[in-house]
Amino acid sequence: MTRPSDRSVLRRPIRRALPLALAIAMGLAGAAAVQADHHEGAVALKAAEQIAYRQSVMSIIGTHMGAIGDLMKHGLAVPGAIETHAKLMAESAALIAPAFRPRVTEGATDAKPEIWTDWTKFQTEIAEYEEAANALASAAASGDPAKIGPAMKALGGSCGGCHKPFRKPKEESYKNK
Amino acid sequence: MSVGHHVRVDRRSGSHRAAILALALAFGLVLASGLALHASSARAQAPGSAPDAQAIERGRQVLYATGGCTCHTNYPGEGEAAPALAGGRGLETPFGVFYSTNLTPDRETGLGGWSQADFVRAMREGLSPDGQHYFPVFPYTAFSGLEDGDLRDLWAYLRSLPAVKRENRPPDAPFPFSWRATLAGWKWLNFTPLVFEPAPDRSEAWLRGRYLVNAAAHCGECHTPRTLTGGLDRSRWLAGSRDGPEGELAPNITPDAATGIGEWDAADLVWYLEMGLKPDGDDTQGLMSEVIEHGYANLPRADLEAIAEYLATVPAIGNRVRAAD
Repeated sequence: MTRPSDRSVLRRPIRRALPLALAIAMGLAGAAAVQADHHEGAVALKAAEQIAYRQSVMSIIGTHMGAIGDLMKHGLAVPGAIETHAKLMAESAALIAPAFRPRVTEGATDAKPEIWTDWTKFQTEIAEYEEAANALASAAASGDPAKIGPAMKALGGSCGGCHKPFRKPKEESYKNK
Repeated sequence: MSVGHHVRVDRRSGSHRAAILALALAFGLVLASGLALHASSARAQAPGSAPDAQAIERGRQVLYATGGCTCHTNYPGEGEAAPALAGGRGLETPFGVFYSTNLTPDRETGLGGWSQADFVRAMREGLSPDGQHYFPVFPYTAFSGLEDGDLRDLWAYLRSLPAVKRENRPPDAPFPFSWRATLAGWKWLNFTPLVFEPAPDRSEAWLRGRYLVNAAAHCGECHTPRTLTGGLDRSRWLAGSRDGPEGELAPNITPDAATGIGEWDAADLVWYLEMGLKPDGDDTQGLMSEVIEHGYANLPRADLEAIAEYLATVPAIGNRVRAAD
């Protein structure tokens, strides 16, 4: 055999190996995809539970808000309570993003898809909420009613920071269908 | 009629003639009071003199009581940078989209060329200076009950605003809802100037609350369901509407425990109007959050308490407001 044919002989396995390698690579990718599917499938199976958990987190925060409201609007004297509620609210901020990380938009939820398409803004708003909660804690610690009122109002406003862009309005809420 | 002991608002019934007579009389009274107002304003304001600072400040309070006339500021389209009260905000209704008008003193596009009498007539009768009917998306139905002094002060406040040049937009509404001539019929069916009956057994706060809720704050314009012709269904006063402004759902605010706000006490309501926060800690959405922020939250505490005192006494109506499909 001449050298050129030797060369072609040498090359032949490579030519055969190429599709094989490609096939293996595709197979691996396919397997990964299957696994990803399986993973997403697992999330989808627990979509209702994920929604329920998210709503629990929101309701924890809302309940603190309601409790501070109870204290303030009725002028109840419970030493240190507003400050503690505000601190717990600030700490609860860390629960929000992880709770919403899995993208679940179908079901008994008012979460808008914009949460996941604008995740950065979502996180920015959470940070602002946390800051407003800390500000209320500081105002409450000062004991100055002239500071507590506006700080509470600002904290209430920070709820809207997320609710306006990311929560369905009443007329679209699953609760009113 | 359920609000009879609070507000006299006649509807067409068997006694059409009496109703028409009452309407004519009421219009006559309004006209007369308008003329009186005009005369007194002519005395109060020498030509070229600016309204006094106290009147402007009182007018700001009236503005707050209306919810900041927030429909006339295009927050949804332009955010917080929207020029105050310069109009251009689209209000979605079942009859089409209507755009709020420019209330600033710009001569060409705003109220710069208006007299105080023009303003009073617009607020009381829903008529423009050249006699055209306003679309009832403008709640003159409620504002017809505003006191002379409050109208004068509100006018003084509006005149103190910076003039903004912005053309008014015609509505995006199909015929006949875009046709002003139809509105004469609408008014005949649905509009009677608001007159408050004497209620000697009630407290000052209750009377003030009745005035604020029904006239200035015009709560019923969103929170009362409407009839097929777009008039307020007065048999279900404040019982909530699925066709609120901008397509929003307006909750039942009667004291019904199950479907209204019967579980709220006066402190809850005052807190809500000050902070925009419900008893369960949730915040407020949509136009209501705006009218609180730019309006009601700035009112004196006594006014909010008056609103709470009055609202607790309106007839409780069971009506669960659901979204339209």
